[in-house]
Amino acid sequence: MIKFVSRSKQVVARATVLPFLVRIGIAVSGLVAVYVAWPLDIASGPYGALLGLSALYPAVAPRGRAATLAALVVVAGWLVDTVGFDARVALWRVLTIATTLYLGHTLTALAAVLPYDAVVNLDVVGTWLARALVVVLISAVLTVVALGLATDLAGDAFLIATLAGLAGAVGATLLLARLIRRA
Amino acid sequence: MRLRNAVPPGEAGERPEKTWVPTRALGRSVLLTGLLLVLGVALGRVDLVLLAAPFAIGAAIGLRRMPTSVPELTIDADEEHLVEGGHVQANVTVSNPDIIPYDLVVVRTRTSRWLKLEHADRPFAITVPSDGWAAVDLPGDALRWGRQEVGPAAARVAACGGLLACRPVVMPPRAVRVYPVTEPFNAIEAMPAAAGLVGNHRSRRMGEGGELAGVRPFAPGDRLRRIDWRVSLRTRDLHVASTLSDRDAEVLLLLDVLGEVGLSGGVAGSASVLDTTVRAAAAIAEHYLQRGDRVSLLEHGATARRLRPATGRRQYLRVLEWLLDVRPDPVEWDTDESVFGVHHVSSDALVMVLSPLIDPRAADMLAHLTQSGRYVVAVDTLPEGAAPAGTGPLSPLATRLWRLERENVLGRLREHGVPVVAWAGAGSLDLVLRDVARMAAAPRG
Repeated sequence: MIKFVSRSKQVVARATVLPFLVRIGIAVSGLVAVYVAWPLDIASGPYGALLGLSALYPAVAPRGRAATLAALVVVAGWLVDTVGFDARVALWRVLTIATTLYLGHTLTALAAVLPYDAVVNLDVVGTWLARALVVVLISAVLTVVALGLATDLAGDAFLIATLAGLAGAVGATLLLARLIRRA
Repeated sequence: MRLRNAVPPGEAGERPEKTWVPTRALGRSVLLTGLLLVLGVALGRVDLVLLAAPFAIGAAIGLRRMPTSVPELTIDADEEHLVEGGHVQANVTVSNPDIIPYDLVVVRTRTSRWLKLEHADRPFAITVPSDGWAAVDLPGDALRWGRQEVGPAAARVAACGGLLACRPVVMPPRAVRVYPVTEPFNAIEAMPAAAGLVGNHRSRRMGEGGELAGVRPFAPGDRLRRIDWRVSLRTRDLHVASTLSDRDAEVLLLLDVLGEVGLSGGVAGSASVLDTTVRAAAAIAEHYLQRGDRVSLLEHGATARRLRPATGRRQYLRVLEWLLDVRPDPVEWDTDESVFGVHHVSSDALVMVLSPLIDPRAADMLAHLTQSGRYVVAVDTLPEGAAPAGTGPLSPLATRLWRLERENVLGRLREHGVPVVAWAGAGSLDLVLRDVARMAAAPRG
C-alpha cells in the first residue's frame, strides 16, 4: 500500500499537461457514452456508479483491454434501452454515442502509446484530434442520412437497403481482417 | 507444469520479425465493427450499423496506406572543444523514409549523469512527416571531464492513427568528449635537467641564449657581438657577456590510477582524486607544452597506458584526449613487482607523480624512481577530508590511524629525498621545483 501511494505521488509529480488532458478526454467521452446509452432508471440507480467506473477505467489504464470492455458496456446499455425498455432510437442519441465511442477509442489509442510524463509537441495531439474529427464528421453525415432514409423508407424497401449496406460492411470487416494479417 | 517460452527460440530459415505490428486499437476496431454489424443484421437495426461506422471509416482512412520501412534514429552532439562546465548541445533525430507520416514518435534517451541535459529524463512525443525528419533538442551543461555518453536512445513509432506501431528502434550511445578544466598553473623555476638543443629553459651550461650568466674576459672564439663595451671601457680590457644556453626538457606526468578516493561532485562540486589528478595533469602539461618542452604521460595502473613525449599544440590536444580515458585501474600484483620498468623513464626527465599516496605500492614506486636517480616530484592529490569508507563505531579511530600511517609514508618519502607537495593550482610546485633543480645541480656521487 505504501509502495502504491509513493508510486502514485511520483506519477502525479511527473505527469505533464497534454497526456493528462488526453486521459481527461477519454474519461469524459466514456462517461457521456455510457450515461447516454444506458436507460436513465439504471444509470441513476445503484449500478450507475459501476457504469461510471467502467467508463473511467480506460483513462487510468489505456494500454489494457479496459477500452474494449467500456465500449462493450456502452453497446450493451444501448441494446438494453432500445430492446429491453423499448426506447425510441433518437438521432441525437445515436450521434452522441457513435461520436463519443469513437473519440474514446481513438484517444485511448493515443494514450496507450503516449507516456504520462512525456514532453509532447502540440501538433501530435492536434493532428490526432483533427483526423478523429474528420471521421466523426463523415460518420455523423452518414448517420443523419441513414436515419432520415429509415424514417422515409420504413418497410420492405428499407430492409433490402439495410441488408445491402450490411453486406458492404461485412466486406469492410473482412478487408480489415486481411490488413491485420498483412501488418 | 511446463511453461512455454515467451520468446520462441530461433530456427534456421525463420522469417524475419515484423517491424510494424497491429496495436490493441486495431483489434478493438475490428471487434466492435464486426460485433455491431452482426448485431445489426441479426436484429435488423440500422442504428447499430451506424454505431460501427466511425470505427470502420477510421480504420479504412488509417490503413489506406501502410508503412513498410523502419524508422532511422541518429544521435548528434557537439564536436567543438567542450570543457567541463561548458554548454553542450545534443539532439536525437528521427528520420522517416516512408511515404506516410508518423503520427506519434516517442523518443527516450539515457544520458551520462555528468551531462545535465534539459528534460533528458522524460520521453519526447513528436510527429515526423513522410520522407522527412524531426529532431529532439537536448541542450544542457557538461558537469565533469571524460567521455560522457548521450544515449542509448530508443524510438517507438505509431502510425495509421495508432492502429499500427513499430517495434522500438534502439540507437547505441554516442560519447561526448568533455575536456578537463585546467586550473591555472605557473612554475617559474628552472628545470632540473634540460636535454634538447633548443627550448625555453635556461640550462645550467654556458652557451648561446638569452639569460645573462655573467661577464668574463674575452677569449678566442667569442663572438664580437657578445663584447660588453661598458665593462671593457671601464676595465680597459675586453670583456664579454656570457649567457646560459636555452634548452628544452622532458616532463613525465605519472598518474596514479590504482584507485579512486572521494566523491566527485563535478566541476562545481567536490573533487575526487582522479578529478584533481586529471585537472592538474592538464594544467601542468599545458604549462610546459606552451614553454616548448616535451611532455609525456604514463599511468601507474594495470594497463600502464602511455603517451609518448612530444611538444607543441598537437601534443597538448593529444594529452587532453588521453586524459579523457583515465579511470580507476586497480591491479592485484605484489608490492615487489612494478608495473613499468624504471628504464622506461628518461634519466633527464622531470617526473611528476600525481598520486593520493594511499597505496604503499605508489610510495614504493616513488622511492624506486628516486633511488634510480630520476628527478621526482610527488603531487599529493588526496582531497581534504577524505576518509576510508565505512560508518562503524570505530570509524573515527580507524580514520585517525589511517591518517597517521599516511603521514608516516609521506615522512619516509621526504627522508628518501622525494619532495611531496599538495596540488593547489598556480605556483604550487615552484618551491619543490626549486629544490629539485638545486639537487640536480649538485654533483652526483
